[in-house]
Amino acid sequence: MDKSKEIAKQDEKNIEKTRELYEVTPAVDIYENDDEILLHADMPGVVKEDISVDIDNGTLSISGIRKLETEGAATYEEFSDLEYVRSFSVPQTINVEKVEAELKNGVLRLHLPKSEAAKPRQIEIKTT
Amino acid sequence: MYTRLSDINRLFGSMNLLQKKLNDLYSDSGRSSGYRWELDQTSPRTNLYENGDIFEIRAEVPGLEKDDLNVKIQGNYLEISGNRDSDAPEGYKTHKTERGVGSFSRSFTLPSDVDSTKVEATLKNGVLYLTLPKHEASKPKKISIV
Repeated sequence: MDKSKEIAKQDEKNIEKTRELYEVTPAVDIYENDDEILLHADMPGVVKEDISVDIDNGTLSISGIRKLETEGAATYEEFSDLEYVRSFSVPQTINVEKVEAELKNGVLRLHLPKSEAAKPRQIEIKTT
Repeated sequence: MYTRLSDINRLFGSMNLLQKKLNDLYSDSGRSSGYRWELDQTSPRTNLYENGDIFEIRAEVPGLEKDDLNVKIQGNYLEISGNRDSDAPEGYKTHKTERGVGSFSRSFTLPSDVDSTKVEATLKNGVLYLTLPKHEASKPKKISIV
């Protein structure tokens, strides 16, 4: 009798946790040319205000939170509210001040320009 | 009831963790991390909601313009198709391409007929929103007893 009470008590202690946003890795494309590195990331449903891009000590972190307004009963759901998170190592030669980000149709595009010193230089060969 | 729900949430939590670990594993080994535990790459994930007299559909279509998408409706049959072009810039070296390109098509059988003349479709932030009002005939009717 005592034991069953104890079990019931423990059950009550099991507090319902608030549902946390689960983290998802967004698919990305990365391109590079002599002047810059380009990064495209799929983040459908994320608005500009909920995106953050940080570059710190050679690490680029992108994060985007999706909050979808839903009405009615879900017959089925294949996607939900989530946080897109991903980080990359970037070379120190990136000119952090000139990094540009744009968001269009749920795709985040980052332009990471290389600093002057990092750009390849063509050396002219002199003939004597 | 609630305890059960939290148990289920915890179970899914660990599944997500597993998925993440697997994804990390695949990307670590230098293989394309395009391998993901989901539908094939270009098929958009979709949600269906029923809200009184309307159905609402949401589909993830990042990077698509409205001209890239086609929505067809007949009775209770819905087809979403489209094409995603590569947005690779020219003159750049490619390091990673995980974002799928190509055409896709998904079809659905809705729980009841919809009025195809009143369907609205909007595209916002890479998500397609479809509002599909149910057909008059499939709306619930009150029968008065005489």
